[in-house]
Amino acid sequence: MTDAVLCGLRVAGDLSLPELLPWTGDDRAPDLTIRLGEVPPIAEPVCGGPLLQVAADGSCRFEVAAVAAYRVDAGGREITIAPAVDSDSPDVRVFLFGTVFAIVCFRRNLLPLHASVVKIAGKAVAFSGASGAGKSTLAAAFLKRGYAILADDVAVVDPAAPGRALVWPAMPRLKLWRDMMDGFAFDTDGLERARVQLEKYHLPVETFAPEPVPLAAVYHLVEAREQRHEEMRLLSGVEAFLALDRAVYRRQLGLRLVGKEELFARSRAAASAVRSVRLSRLVSLARADAIVDQIAARETAA
Amino acid sequence: MSGIFWLASYPKSGNTWLRLALQSLEAGGAPVRFDEDKDNWWERKDRGRVGGIVSSRPFFESHLNVESSDLTAEEIEELRPQAIIAWAEGENSPIIKTHDAFLSSRGTPLFPDGSTRGAVVIVRDPRDVAVSFADHSGLSIDAAIDKMADPGGMLAGGTKRLANQFSQRLPTWSGHLAGWLEAPVPKLMVRYEEMKTDMASVLAKVAAFVEIDAPAAAVARAVAATGFDKLQAEEDRIGFRERAPNCRQFFRRGVAGGWRDTLTAEQVGRIETDHGAMMRRLGYEVSA
Repeated sequence: MTDAVLCGLRVAGDLSLPELLPWTGDDRAPDLTIRLGEVPPIAEPVCGGPLLQVAADGSCRFEVAAVAAYRVDAGGREITIAPAVDSDSPDVRVFLFGTVFAIVCFRRNLLPLHASVVKIAGKAVAFSGASGAGKSTLAAAFLKRGYAILADDVAVVDPAAPGRALVWPAMPRLKLWRDMMDGFAFDTDGLERARVQLEKYHLPVETFAPEPVPLAAVYHLVEAREQRHEEMRLLSGVEAFLALDRAVYRRQLGLRLVGKEELFARSRAAASAVRSVRLSRLVSLARADAIVDQIAARETAA
Repeated sequence: MSGIFWLASYPKSGNTWLRLALQSLEAGGAPVRFDEDKDNWWERKDRGRVGGIVSSRPFFESHLNVESSDLTAEEIEELRPQAIIAWAEGENSPIIKTHDAFLSSRGTPLFPDGSTRGAVVIVRDPRDVAVSFADHSGLSIDAAIDKMADPGGMLAGGTKRLANQFSQRLPTWSGHLAGWLEAPVPKLMVRYEEMKTDMASVLAKVAAFVEIDAPAAAVARAVAATGFDKLQAEEDRIGFRERAPNCRQFFRRGVAGGWRDTLTAEQVGRIETDHGAMMRRLGYEVSA
């Protein structure tokens, strides 16, 4: 039986989740149960697309045909998985920790951000951006310099934490493509791949921050084409809110599941508690160290 | 469903120029600013009908609720038409750029039945495309000519790194054009060379096809706002995100016929051998 922690939730069930840390908290009942079972299609979905449908009772079904079908109950407390491959294969967990866990977050008053998070001077600092924006790469550059990682790719924020937004640590790993593994001189030998067809590796990290940390800043990553176009600019007001709103992971899904008003309320709460910074920089390993220095200096001084 | 208007072309054929001119025209001939926020164009109705490029990962992810970098190339190819149709259903005839071939590698349309309102197919002399494509991709001219003749040619992608766009099929320059020119959708063909000599007429013709209001004064302002010098100055001021990392300048030279002082006779011969039939079909003079 799995008894593990994911973003502060006690996770139990019969799927092995080797990337998660074991639960060491109180003896509460599991917050989230994951089990293997049948996941039949939803007969009359109230809304849905090719991969994801929502039933009238609020439960969701998500399927990647070659990998698995997933059901999340309306409360975000129970996940059922019908794997199309060996249930222990990493492919099944890739989507579990992606879209499926995002549903759980939306259902549990949490705010998932498309971001990687590192700990700088005791505070959580997030790097957000679309796929390919360089979130994991920047986190890897911080890791190389000895900073602790809290989350990679998906960062779960509790916007209702008293006084400030808290980031819940996810799991001690980074997802890095082959070119970046090589660029940072990380050894790929024996590492798990996200999908067997992809050279996207799961790099275990030792410097992991296992406790929740207040979120101090979100850096919204933008690619500059030349060094003279780089900038680090503090956003405020509507601009800061819009940047945070756009950083919501699976935002369209969140809008469907909780509605615009509620999702905006969560984003507003988070935006009002953190600094939002637009970070436009050259995407180049040669610049990575200098950018780490600039951010670390800024965050240490803040 | 109202359907999408595509601005379809092989790379380096004037697609971005035409898109920027339409964007300016839609705003009454306003200046073009590259740092204006164009993110999430597919979900922002306040941004007008002219959007970005359909091979964008966030576009796909937003419609299918999945992280595209966790999917295999085959899964992505199978799902892209579904993302396009899911979007076409709710929209007011957006105008979207694409370099994708009309057909997927499976021989079925990437742009499924019912998703397309029309296609503006932009063509350019392949001898000029070769020179510009080489510069854009950081390839030698010979390598660019090879790629233009390669039935398995791809733009972006690869399995070892995460490109911010999906890989796009470029099944030879001729094959790419044939796919679009023979696609069973309403079409308007425009030539880069005509854009150079009389952009105002081309823009008015395209605007009528994609149903954008085009009073002559606004067309004139849009043409002036997207003159090559303006686009170059704007790229210098703030940078242009579509510029490839290997290339110094996206808006490089912007001439028609520049190949005459750049290509060797042997290179001209190769292009004309590879693409003579399509060149003749499109009315480009072939020397041999």
